[in-house]
Amino acid sequence: MYGLTRYKLLFLLPGLLILLGIILFPLGFTIRVSFSGWDAARPGLDWIGGTNYSRLFADGRFWESLSRLGAIAFTSVILEYLLGFALALLVWRQVRFRRLTRVLFLIPMMTTPVVMAVIWRTIFHESLGPANDLLSLLGMGSIPWLTNSFWATVVVILVDVWQWTPFMFLLLLAGLLSLPREPFLAAAIDGAGPIRTFFNVTFPAMAPISVGALIIRLIEASKIMETVYVITSGGPGTSTETSSYYIFIRGLRDFQIGYAAALSVTYLVIMIVLLTIIAKSLSRYLVKNGA
Amino acid sequence: MAKIELRGLGHAYTFVGGEAQFALHPLDLTWEDGGTYALLGPSGCGKSTMLNIVSGLLEPSLGQVLINGRDVTALGPIKRNIAQVFQFPVVYPAKTVYGNLAFPLVCRQKSKGEIDRRVNEVAELLNLDKFLQKPARSLTPDLKQLISLGRGLVRDDVAVILMDEPLTVIDPQLKFSLRRKLRDISARHGHTLVYVTHDQNEAMTLAEQVVVMDSGRVVQMGTPQELFENPVHPHVGYFIGTPSMNFLPGRLHGNDVEVLGHKVGLPTTSELSGVSEILVGIRPEFISLAPRAGKKTIPGLVVDVQDMGGFAILSAKLSEDCELKVRARDHVPPVGEQCHLDLQSDRVRFYLDNRLVN
Repeated sequence: MYGLTRYKLLFLLPGLLILLGIILFPLGFTIRVSFSGWDAARPGLDWIGGTNYSRLFADGRFWESLSRLGAIAFTSVILEYLLGFALALLVWRQVRFRRLTRVLFLIPMMTTPVVMAVIWRTIFHESLGPANDLLSLLGMGSIPWLTNSFWATVVVILVDVWQWTPFMFLLLLAGLLSLPREPFLAAAIDGAGPIRTFFNVTFPAMAPISVGALIIRLIEASKIMETVYVITSGGPGTSTETSSYYIFIRGLRDFQIGYAAALSVTYLVIMIVLLTIIAKSLSRYLVKNGA
Repeated sequence: MAKIELRGLGHAYTFVGGEAQFALHPLDLTWEDGGTYALLGPSGCGKSTMLNIVSGLLEPSLGQVLINGRDVTALGPIKRNIAQVFQFPVVYPAKTVYGNLAFPLVCRQKSKGEIDRRVNEVAELLNLDKFLQKPARSLTPDLKQLISLGRGLVRDDVAVILMDEPLTVIDPQLKFSLRRKLRDISARHGHTLVYVTHDQNEAMTLAEQVVVMDSGRVVQMGTPQELFENPVHPHVGYFIGTPSMNFLPGRLHGNDVEVLGHKVGLPTTSELSGVSEILVGIRPEFISLAPRAGKKTIPGLVVDVQDMGGFAILSAKLSEDCELKVRARDHVPPVGEQCHLDLQSDRVRFYLDNRLVN
């Protein structure tokens, strides 16, 4: 038995080492750095105890960025889900042009985030962008897209929705196509119209897939960064600043490495707890009502 | 309660070069009011296609569907007053059993009192009354299938109940009791019942009339006994009965038919002038094992014996490429021994070009 255990370890070792190297070491190192005062003036791993953490708890800008992130992520993911589901339902039964529409929907997903963020910034440019041109053509005046905190948030959400709705669409379409036919036939026999069929058959059957899609997108959306960086740089003021962007400012612009590490660790813990709770309650609620 | 007529009904899912590839070849069929019918055939023979056309889920490429003399070909399922139960139990998972049973009535905007009355009636009929408040998704497959059936029965205007292999996912023991329940219900309410299955036992025990199908065609329709005794096509003999009918090559000598030089019977038809070869069919049930060689017996070598409990299925080799199955009760000879087979001459059937001729 002893020999077998040793062999097992031997075979597991390469994988374990890689895991250790790429996940556990950086994580451990970040935690260690978060207890140091490493910054541009005094680089190095000294020990300052929990100073960074007590500073963080008093840092209103961080907590604001976190709640802003929550609002942006939730709004865009819900919009993406609704739009994606609607689009998937629209093309679900259609047979012609199926491949073409799917490829078209994929384009936003395949573009580089920074490139398309630049394009969107140009579109929403207040004096040169086509968005305002169009609005004034329609006689609605121009909107301060990037200098008003409300509209800037709208633009960030809009770009995220534009980029990620296709992902939702594809996941939900795959789900729809995998549904069995019988329940739909039974609903037709029972006399259910399209709305009743949707709420009693389609939606419950799609619940597990919906939960998966929503959670994947929420995790992804909670890291939103490039769009903010390119389009608004967190502005005007700090009104579109999300957590990851704030951590980026502290760590890589101000070089407060120790403090940024403390922010990252806190952010990570909050995200893990929050997303676990969301995932659990979502699946309990939706899957219970589904299959 | 309704009479259903299919007139020149045919369906093709695909067309190759403008020519229809029929899944269901054009046919005429009448199902009488209150009858129980089974559509029997192997997978892909067109039975489900026929059922979906009758229920209105599928529009036929050709012909008409008449319910009580009214042409309903262009009408959707709601307007036809049809209940259909599918192979896999369908329940609305978010609803209770009550909600499930009430659903068809809710869709038809019936009053609350009426819904309540009907649901309770049907729940009692199907013994679902103690589950009414439970979520439907938590039930076992057989109870779910009862709910599917119940959703058909709650509508008191249902003309016909169509079932598409509804017992496939049910345990064998439960199958038996469910089958009996189905019979009772259809007998008591006088619903016309059309039942699709590939299981001959199910078809034979449930239906008054069995429609045997093969490759999109109706081969024979008749009572279980007719199908057993006089299969009009070798396919029917093959598909019905366990084990299936034996088929042997026969030769005509004057008026006699001989199998391997032994006289087996005398066809009563005059169609056979000029024919020398004929297919001879006999059920394993109508062959007996003679204790010794006689004038009428055919010798064979026992090559296999399957003990089925109450009886045995014996395979006997008559020649290099000719084997017979016999259903034997006692004195079953062991493998490797000679046996003497006695074919009941009045039970022998003759087929010419896959058609019964005597």
